[in-house]
Amino acid sequence: MSDLSTPGREQRPDPSPEQNLDQSRVPTASAAPPRRSAQEQAELRERRTLEAARATRAQENRQRTFYLLLSVLTPVLLLALWELTARFQIIDPRFFPPPSRIAAAATEMALDGELWSHTWPTLLRLLVGGGLGAVAGIAVGLLMGAFRPVNAAFGPLFAALYPLPKIAIFPILLMIFGPTELPKMIAVFITTFFVMQINTVSGVWAIDRKLLEAGSAYGATGLDRFRFVVLPGALPFVFSGLRTATGTAVVVITAVEFTGATTEGLGYLIWNSWQLFMPEKLYVGLVVIGIIGALLTWILTTSEKLILPWRRR
Amino acid sequence: MTTERSSAVVAKDVSKVFFAGADPVWALEDFSLTLEEGSFTCIVGPSGCGKSTFLRILGGLEERTIGELEMTDSTHPVPAAFVFQEHGVFPWMTVRDNVAFGLRMSGVGRRERETTAEDWLRRVRLEGFAGAYPHELSGGMRQRVAIARAFATGSPVLLMDEPLGALDAQTRMLMQEELIALWETERKTVLMVTHDIDEAIILGDRVIVMSGRPGTLREDITVPFERPRSFDIERSSEFGQLRSNIWQLLRDDVRSAEETA
Repeated sequence: MSDLSTPGREQRPDPSPEQNLDQSRVPTASAAPPRRSAQEQAELRERRTLEAARATRAQENRQRTFYLLLSVLTPVLLLALWELTARFQIIDPRFFPPPSRIAAAATEMALDGELWSHTWPTLLRLLVGGGLGAVAGIAVGLLMGAFRPVNAAFGPLFAALYPLPKIAIFPILLMIFGPTELPKMIAVFITTFFVMQINTVSGVWAIDRKLLEAGSAYGATGLDRFRFVVLPGALPFVFSGLRTATGTAVVVITAVEFTGATTEGLGYLIWNSWQLFMPEKLYVGLVVIGIIGALLTWILTTSEKLILPWRRR
Repeated sequence: MTTERSSAVVAKDVSKVFFAGADPVWALEDFSLTLEEGSFTCIVGPSGCGKSTFLRILGGLEERTIGELEMTDSTHPVPAAFVFQEHGVFPWMTVRDNVAFGLRMSGVGRRERETTAEDWLRRVRLEGFAGAYPHELSGGMRQRVAIARAFATGSPVLLMDEPLGALDAQTRMLMQEELIALWETERKTVLMVTHDIDEAIILGDRVIVMSGRPGTLREDITVPFERPRSFDIERSSEFGQLRSNIWQLLRDDVRSAEETA
């Protein structure tokens, strides 16, 4: 910027527009080295800022469009590949029915209500069992993280119970509660409970000691301490726990529904379609479970952004 | 400073032992200190001399093993407000909520605490950042938030644990100037731990020099410069004299602390 106003460049035969403007507004250009007035400088800078901003934005947009295109095109291409190879019998269409046929089956099932009759029970079990499990896990985790006696009492016990496969507990639950909704929800509850409890404890322990001290130095005790210091401090871990828990809960509910303790649910749909050898329906069940998992994860990611604005970088 | 002032903090023969490793460590031994109301006192000493421990005992963050401690105005909801070196502000609260935090914890109503917070934000020149989160601020700005939070509690005693220690040298000088200006209008009782001798002389009415571990009082120096102060005092010969005196007192202890660390 400064070398534009040096006398040497001002004397060039073919000045740039900026220089032109510069000279025309400074009457004493020949006497003193020409300098822009503050206003001219500001105008020039504004113009340059606009240009630079436009260029930067255009580049960012190009990049974003490109990435978006990639993220959409890759699965579309893979699906097309699947469709073609199945149609031309390169892969066995009995095991891998072309996507178009799966879509047709899905439409049919959606129209006659069959799809919904399987989707709703699974969703309900996930939301009720998983939701309550998450709330309980977070609460217990906060208490364990904040109070050492609570951790001493339950820490080793939970650590021993956690690796038990929840599916192995399911027959016991069936035995106790009979073939109702309860054992299925409890299976999901237990799954999310443990994941959330462990993650929340880690979250509390990961809080910078300085912040806990700042809390007590400024008089945050009892419930205030939880509300303003411990809970917000642990929330990043809580959210990563929720994402893990969602994945695990979907696995567990599917497996529970495989066991035949129910005639409703996406897991049952998949299992039953296999037994009756209806691969299209099997894939429909798979896709819907996938969509549910993705949807729940998306909701979590979005709410994390809203609830934790201080994590946005 | 003037003798007729009453004392805000009286600590008598305070000692503290830690049992972390194999041997018990006496971080502080028979340390006595009286802070006059409205005075600015700085503690310097080699690392590990227990200066921070003393501050934390005063702030109620640490229990003393032996000794007596008296705060004159202990009825205030926050008897002593703490300023931490770094990471002391809550990243999940906006700047405004951080500054108002102490007031909120002592049950001050929303409108009043927000007015106070806005006022303090103006005084530390952060009025435009009330709704921002700490990660959006620079290190110096974050420390201004921490300082504003301490002042905003209205607490009669401020305890500062190397509040400017994590800042770069130039930001630090700027903040020292601001801290003097702020304090000279408020005149709280301040006890500040620092490892920067210049900072101690520029800010303090008194400089307490501590010995190496276990920390005891080595010298209690009154800083002769008049207030209001500016950085001009750094150029005076008295300043240089004072600084070299303090350094002579510290030198050996700093070396042995360095070698045992």
